[in-house]
Amino acid sequence: MSDDDLTALHLDQFLPHPPAKVWRALTEPDLLARWLMPGDFRLEVGHRYVMRAVPMPSTGFSGTVLAEVLAFEPERMLRLRWRDADPADDTDWTVTWTLEPEGTGTRLFLRHDGFDPDNPLQQRARRIMGGGWRSAVIRGLEDLLDSL
Amino acid sequence: MIAERTTEDQVFAALSSPVRREVLRLLREEGPRPVQALAGRFEMSRPSFSEHLRVLREAGLVTERKAGRQRLYQLEAVPLLDVQEWLTPFERFWREKLTGLRDLLDRLEDEEP
Repeated sequence: MSDDDLTALHLDQFLPHPPAKVWRALTEPDLLARWLMPGDFRLEVGHRYVMRAVPMPSTGFSGTVLAEVLAFEPERMLRLRWRDADPADDTDWTVTWTLEPEGTGTRLFLRHDGFDPDNPLQQRARRIMGGGWRSAVIRGLEDLLDSL
Repeated sequence: MIAERTTEDQVFAALSSPVRREVLRLLREEGPRPVQALAGRFEMSRPSFSEHLRVLREAGLVTERKAGRQRLYQLEAVPLLDVQEWLTPFERFWREKLTGLRDLLDRLEDEEP
Protein backbone atom coordinates (compact mmCIF):
# COMPACT_ATOMS: atom_id res chain seq x y z
CA MET A 1 0.00 0.00 0.00
CA SER A 2 1.41 3.38 -0.94
CA ASP A 3 1.94 6.32 1.34
CA ASP A 4 -0.64 8.18 -0.68
CA ASP A 5 -3.44 5.85 0.38
CA LEU A 6 -5.61 8.23 2.33
CA THR A 7 -8.00 5.61 3.68
CA ALA A 8 -5.58 3.76 5.94
CA LEU A 9 -2.95 4.56 8.52
CA HIS A 10 -0.08 2.18 9.30
CA LEU A 11 2.28 2.42 12.20
CA ASP A 12 4.58 -0.03 13.88
CA GLN A 13 6.53 0.07 17.07
CA PHE A 14 9.15 -2.20 18.61
CA LEU A 15 8.40 -3.08 22.23
CA PRO A 16 11.13 -4.72 24.32
CA HIS A 17 8.63 -7.15 25.81
CA PRO A 18 7.46 -10.59 24.68
CA PRO A 19 4.24 -10.95 22.65
CA ALA A 20 2.40 -12.57 25.58
CA LYS A 21 2.87 -9.45 27.65
CA VAL A 22 1.97 -7.08 24.82
CA TRP A 23 -1.15 -9.19 24.24
CA ARG A 24 -2.20 -8.65 27.85
CA ALA A 25 -1.91 -4.89 27.40
CA LEU A 26 -4.13 -5.14 24.31
CA THR A 27 -6.81 -7.34 25.87
CA GLU A 28 -7.05 -6.80 29.64
CA PRO A 29 -9.50 -3.97 30.44
CA ASP A 30 -7.51 -2.72 33.43
CA LEU A 31 -4.38 -2.43 31.29
CA LEU A 32 -6.24 -0.99 28.28
CA ALA A 33 -7.58 1.76 30.52
CA ARG A 34 -4.04 2.68 31.48
CA TRP A 35 -2.67 3.27 27.99
CA LEU A 36 -5.56 3.48 25.52
CA MET A 37 -9.03 4.21 26.85
CA PRO A 38 -11.26 2.87 29.61
CA GLY A 39 -13.95 0.48 28.39
CA ASP A 40 -15.58 -2.88 29.13
CA PHE A 41 -13.51 -4.88 26.66
CA ARG A 42 -13.88 -8.66 26.57
CA LEU A 43 -11.90 -10.96 24.29
CA GLU A 44 -14.82 -12.49 22.43
CA VAL A 45 -15.75 -12.11 18.77
CA GLY A 46 -18.93 -10.03 18.53
CA HIS A 47 -18.50 -8.40 21.94
CA ARG A 48 -19.49 -4.72 21.80
CA TYR A 49 -18.28 -2.08 24.19
CA VAL A 50 -17.84 1.66 24.60
CA MET A 51 -14.57 3.53 25.06
CA ARG A 52 -14.03 7.15 25.93
CA ALA A 53 -11.13 9.22 24.69
CA VAL A 54 -10.40 12.85 24.07
CA PRO A 55 -12.48 14.49 21.32
CA MET A 56 -10.58 15.69 18.26
CA PRO A 57 -12.40 18.75 16.97
CA SER A 58 -10.11 19.09 13.96
CA THR A 59 -11.41 15.74 12.67
CA GLY A 60 -14.98 15.77 13.99
CA PHE A 61 -14.18 12.77 16.24
CA SER A 62 -16.48 12.95 19.30
CA GLY A 63 -14.09 11.01 21.52
CA THR A 64 -16.57 8.23 22.33
CA VAL A 65 -16.02 5.00 20.43
CA LEU A 66 -18.51 2.17 19.90
CA ALA A 67 -16.23 -0.80 19.50
CA GLU A 68 -16.71 -4.42 18.54
CA VAL A 69 -14.33 -7.36 18.51
CA LEU A 70 -14.22 -8.63 14.91
CA ALA A 71 -11.52 -11.29 15.08
CA PHE A 72 -8.49 -12.39 17.05
CA GLU A 73 -5.70 -14.93 17.21
CA PRO A 74 -4.16 -15.04 20.70
CA GLU A 75 -0.81 -13.25 20.91
CA ARG A 76 -0.84 -12.65 17.14
CA MET A 77 -3.74 -10.52 15.95
CA LEU A 78 -6.69 -8.51 17.23
CA ARG A 79 -9.16 -6.78 14.91
CA LEU A 80 -11.72 -4.26 16.16
CA ARG A 81 -14.43 -2.18 14.61
CA TRP A 82 -14.56 1.40 15.83
CA ARG A 83 -17.47 3.70 15.17
CA ASP A 84 -18.00 7.20 16.48
CA ALA A 85 -20.77 7.30 19.10
CA ASP A 86 -22.05 10.54 17.58
CA PRO A 87 -24.91 9.38 15.28
CA ALA A 88 -24.22 12.30 12.96
CA ASP A 89 -20.78 10.83 12.31
CA ASP A 90 -20.75 7.91 9.87
CA THR A 91 -17.19 6.96 10.77
CA ASP A 92 -16.61 3.22 10.44
CA TRP A 93 -13.03 2.25 11.18
CA THR A 94 -11.25 -1.06 11.50
CA VAL A 95 -8.31 -1.16 13.87
CA THR A 96 -6.03 -4.18 13.51
CA TRP A 97 -3.17 -5.01 15.84
CA THR A 98 -0.62 -7.56 14.67
CA LEU A 99 2.15 -8.87 16.92
CA GLU A 100 5.36 -10.37 15.57
CA PRO A 101 8.17 -11.66 17.77
CA GLU A 102 11.37 -9.73 17.13
CA GLY A 103 14.41 -10.81 19.10
CA THR A 104 13.37 -10.92 22.74
CA GLY A 105 10.66 -8.36 22.10
CA THR A 106 7.68 -7.71 19.86
CA ARG A 107 7.05 -5.62 16.79
CA LEU A 108 3.52 -4.30 17.12
CA PHE A 109 1.82 -3.25 13.88
CA LEU A 110 -1.19 -1.00 13.83
CA ARG A 111 -3.42 -0.68 10.82
CA HIS A 112 -6.27 1.82 11.07
CA ASP A 113 -8.57 1.50 8.01
CA GLY A 114 -11.65 3.29 6.87
CA PHE A 115 -10.71 6.96 6.66
CA ASP A 116 -12.89 8.92 4.32
CA PRO A 117 -10.79 10.38 1.50
CA ASP A 118 -13.59 12.89 0.89
CA ASN A 119 -13.30 14.26 4.41
CA PRO A 120 -13.23 18.04 3.92
CA LEU A 121 -10.24 18.47 6.21
CA GLN A 122 -8.21 16.03 4.19
CA GLN A 123 -9.50 17.51 0.96
CA ARG A 124 -8.34 20.89 2.07
CA ALA A 125 -4.86 19.59 2.68
CA ARG A 126 -4.80 17.77 -0.63
CA ARG A 127 -6.00 20.78 -2.56
CA ILE A 128 -3.28 22.90 -1.08
CA MET A 129 -0.50 20.40 -1.39
CA GLY A 130 -1.28 18.94 -4.78
CA GLY A 131 -0.34 15.39 -5.76
CA GLY A 132 1.99 13.48 -3.52
CA TRP A 133 1.47 15.80 -0.60
CA ARG A 134 1.42 13.01 1.88
CA SER A 135 4.73 11.46 0.99
CA ALA A 136 6.45 14.72 0.20
CA VAL A 137 5.28 16.82 3.08
CA ILE A 138 4.40 14.47 5.87
CA ARG A 139 7.51 12.34 5.59
CA GLY A 140 9.54 15.52 5.59
CA LEU A 141 7.71 16.79 8.63
CA GLU A 142 8.24 13.52 10.44
CA ASP A 143 11.96 13.54 9.70
CA LEU A 144 12.11 17.09 10.91
CA LEU A 145 10.19 16.40 14.09
CA ASP A 146 12.27 13.33 14.83
CA SER A 147 15.41 15.41 14.51
CA LEU A 148 14.29 18.12 16.95
CA MET B 1 -8.85 33.08 17.02
CA ILE B 2 -9.01 35.00 13.76
CA ALA B 3 -5.32 35.75 14.00
CA GLU B 4 -4.48 32.08 14.59
CA ARG B 5 -6.55 30.98 11.64
CA THR B 6 -4.81 33.52 9.44
CA THR B 7 -1.42 32.18 10.45
CA GLU B 8 -2.53 28.64 9.70
CA ASP B 9 -3.73 29.68 6.24
CA GLN B 10 -0.42 31.40 5.65
CA VAL B 11 1.45 28.24 6.58
CA PHE B 12 -0.66 26.08 4.26
CA ALA B 13 -0.27 28.61 1.47
CA ALA B 14 3.48 28.74 2.02
CA LEU B 15 3.71 24.95 1.83
CA SER B 16 1.72 24.84 -1.40
CA SER B 17 4.77 25.78 -3.47
CA PRO B 18 7.33 23.10 -4.40
CA VAL B 19 10.03 25.77 -4.40
CA ARG B 20 9.23 26.79 -0.85
CA ARG B 21 9.03 23.19 0.31
CA GLU B 22 12.45 22.64 -1.22
CA VAL B 23 13.81 25.68 0.65
CA LEU B 24 12.49 24.20 3.90
CA ARG B 25 14.03 20.86 3.05
CA LEU B 26 17.43 22.44 2.39
CA LEU B 27 17.29 24.37 5.66
CA ARG B 28 16.29 21.22 7.50
CA GLU B 29 19.11 19.15 6.06
CA GLU B 30 21.84 21.74 5.94
CA GLY B 31 20.97 24.05 8.83
CA PRO B 32 20.94 27.85 8.58
CA ARG B 33 22.07 29.04 5.14
CA PRO B 34 23.00 32.44 3.69
CA VAL B 35 20.42 33.73 1.28
CA GLN B 36 22.96 33.68 -1.59
CA ALA B 37 23.61 29.97 -1.07
CA LEU B 38 19.90 29.22 -1.10
CA ALA B 39 19.21 31.33 -4.16
CA GLY B 40 22.02 29.57 -6.02
CA ARG B 41 20.10 26.29 -5.77
CA PHE B 42 17.15 27.54 -7.78
CA GLU B 43 16.91 28.60 -11.38
CA MET B 44 14.92 31.77 -11.02
CA SER B 45 15.47 35.48 -10.79
CA ARG B 46 16.60 36.86 -7.48
CA PRO B 47 13.43 38.97 -7.01
CA SER B 48 11.26 35.86 -7.56
CA PHE B 49 13.31 33.91 -5.03
CA SER B 50 13.12 36.80 -2.55
CA GLU B 51 9.36 36.71 -2.90
CA HIS B 52 9.33 33.01 -1.92
CA LEU B 53 11.46 33.80 1.12
CA ARG B 54 9.10 36.61 2.07
CA VAL B 55 6.11 34.21 2.02
CA LEU B 56 8.03 31.75 4.20
CA ARG B 57 9.02 34.51 6.62
CA GLU B 58 5.50 35.86 6.93
CA ALA B 59 4.21 32.36 7.65
CA GLY B 60 6.79 32.09 10.42
CA LEU B 61 8.41 29.07 8.78
CA VAL B 62 11.81 30.73 8.48
CA THR B 63 13.56 33.57 10.22
CA GLU B 64 16.31 35.82 8.93
CA ARG B 65 19.25 37.14 10.88
CA LYS B 66 22.32 39.13 9.98
CA ALA B 67 25.71 37.49 10.36
CA GLY B 68 28.40 39.90 9.26
CA ARG B 69 27.61 40.86 5.70
CA GLN B 70 25.38 37.86 5.17
CA ARG B 71 21.74 37.27 5.85
CA LEU B 72 21.20 33.78 7.28
CA TYR B 73 17.94 31.92 6.91
CA GLN B 74 16.87 29.41 9.50
CA LEU B 75 13.98 26.95 9.70
CA GLU B 76 11.38 27.48 12.42
CA ALA B 77 9.59 24.29 13.38
CA VAL B 78 6.65 25.49 15.48
CA PRO B 79 4.32 26.38 12.58
CA LEU B 80 5.05 22.97 11.06
CA LEU B 81 3.99 21.29 14.28
CA ASP B 82 0.69 23.16 14.07
CA VAL B 83 0.16 22.04 10.49
CA GLN B 84 0.97 18.45 11.35
CA GLU B 85 -1.90 18.55 13.81
CA TRP B 86 -4.18 19.25 10.85
CA LEU B 87 -2.69 16.73 8.47
CA THR B 88 -2.13 13.76 10.73
CA PRO B 89 -4.29 14.00 13.85
CA PHE B 90 -4.74 10.25 14.06
CA GLU B 91 -1.11 9.50 13.47
CA ARG B 92 -0.34 11.75 16.41
CA PHE B 93 -3.08 10.09 18.44
CA TRP B 94 -1.66 6.63 17.83
CA ARG B 95 1.97 7.63 18.33
CA GLU B 96 1.06 9.07 21.72
CA LYS B 97 -0.90 5.93 22.60
CA LEU B 98 1.94 3.66 21.53
CA THR B 99 4.34 5.64 23.67
CA GLY B 100 1.94 5.15 26.57
CA LEU B 101 1.78 1.42 25.85
CA ARG B 102 5.57 1.13 25.92
CA ASP B 103 5.73 3.00 29.23
CA LEU B 104 3.01 0.78 30.69
CA LEU B 105 4.81 -2.40 29.67
CA ASP B 106 8.01 -1.07 31.22
CA ARG B 107 6.17 -0.38 34.46
CA LEU B 108 4.51 -3.82 34.50
CA GLU B 109 8.01 -5.23 34.63
CA ASP B 110 8.50 -3.54 38.00
CA GLU B 111 5.07 -4.44 39.32
CA GLU B 112 5.44 -8.11 38.42
CA PRO B 113 9.09 -9.04 38.79
